[in-house]
Amino acid sequence: MFSNIANLLIEAYEQYVYLPLFIQIALAFIIFAILATVFAYFIIVFKRYQGYVTEKRKNFITPKIEEIITDQVLLNEKLNEGIPVDEIEFDLKALNHKMFKKEWVRQALIDIIIQYRKNFRGDLGDLLRKFYLDMNLSKESFEKLKSMKWEKKIKAVSELTSMDIQISDVTILPLTNSTNPSLRSAARNAYIQLSKNEPFKFFDIATEPILPWDQLELYRIITTTKDIAIPNFSRWISYSSNKSVVAFCLKLIAHYDQQAAIPSVIDLTSTKDHFLRAAAINCLGKLSAEIAEDKFLRIYNTQPVNCQLEILKALGRIGSGKNLEFLKQEFMFSSNFDIRMSAAKSIIKHNSPASRILIDELMAVSSEENKLILKHCQNPLIKY
Amino acid sequence: MPNILIVEDDEIMLKAIKNILSKDGYTVTTAKDGKEAFEKLDKEEYDIVITDLMMPYASGLEIVSKIRGDVLKKHIGIIIISSVGSEETITEAFNLGADDYLKKPIMAVELLIRIRKLLANRKTIKV
Repeated sequence: MFSNIANLLIEAYEQYVYLPLFIQIALAFIIFAILATVFAYFIIVFKRYQGYVTEKRKNFITPKIEEIITDQVLLNEKLNEGIPVDEIEFDLKALNHKMFKKEWVRQALIDIIIQYRKNFRGDLGDLLRKFYLDMNLSKESFEKLKSMKWEKKIKAVSELTSMDIQISDVTILPLTNSTNPSLRSAARNAYIQLSKNEPFKFFDIATEPILPWDQLELYRIITTTKDIAIPNFSRWISYSSNKSVVAFCLKLIAHYDQQAAIPSVIDLTSTKDHFLRAAAINCLGKLSAEIAEDKFLRIYNTQPVNCQLEILKALGRIGSGKNLEFLKQEFMFSSNFDIRMSAAKSIIKHNSPASRILIDELMAVSSEENKLILKHCQNPLIKY
Repeated sequence: MPNILIVEDDEIMLKAIKNILSKDGYTVTTAKDGKEAFEKLDKEEYDIVITDLMMPYASGLEIVSKIRGDVLKKHIGIIIISSVGSEETITEAFNLGADDYLKKPIMAVELLIRIRKLLANRKTIKV
């Protein structure tokens, strides 16, 4: 049979050689396309088979693992007897079961323990962690950290974070500045959760940006992680050359109302980057930094519109009442609608006798459009 | 022994809670989604329903609303266990008639204490 195929191929080649060039090229393309399609189908079938086998293995092993976790952890009698978690010993026979020698079983075990730990805290959560450590599963996680594949590294970081296992700075700090955004983000999140004393140390070495979505996630972690040491974020405002770090620190300064950071933030209002300048002005407004008002007025006319809007908002938030006349002038004479709107909101936000008199005065003398703006801004349902 | 229905779409959590409660002596039934929960609620009588909030077919809030809207089931105690911790959701759950709310990750001991308290309160109300 093989000789027949070989003869057929030789015959086909002999005919191919005598064909015109453009036919030869077309045939080559057709053959290449057919081979590529067959190869692609083969890969798809192989991957699906691999997925099927993995799923089947998982379905087979999951109940067994769950049974062991239930016996050893969930229904552990020693927990009810009040024995401290550290002193509870697991059944060695269960821990040394031969199925746990296989790598894929150990990975399934890690995944299930993590799933349980996400749902349980207290003694049960601590016992799950002890089970993970006693099974020596942290070794697997640390091995994955050494992998060349970033997906594996992310998995390792996430496993160790879920199990509250410390990762040395030498290992994790370089990952917080990885060029891969996903790995960088996972490592930064882990660093904050695991490093209780200096959770923001990675800001010092961060040259890669903290992307807006990552900032949201970091913010969530920072504000929800217990016993986290909050530093004075002004140190990064002063010397970090990473603009995203500075912008993120401004948000944290405002969130934690760090009044001590005001001088550094005022200095930042002189920066050349107008987005950063706007963020600094916004932060000063949220900090109610009355001391910054004079500078705001001094620089106002030289600023782009986004910074001018932030200055107007900040004056409203500070609400000292010293600059009502300035806000009135902006509201009455600015040709920019957004400026008039922000000035009106700021006057209303003062909510003082003087500001109320001013609003009445403006309602009497303003144009129809400005009256509409004032009425709109007085609506309490519109947040500012 | 008190009859408890657990409604949870996360199988691992479902089995875990079932094991913990069974060990404490409760009769436990499970449902993986809102639809299954409604079917089981129609067939059997329960003392307590423990439900997650976000599930397929019907949310935990719908389950609370259905139980409280049915005269024959009004006596059932309802505990919500969820990772959703926003004030609005908690308030809505209590407004609809939930008795208790536990945020994931939970403490097994805390869950057992709350179930015991709820059962005791229900008994007092009945008396």
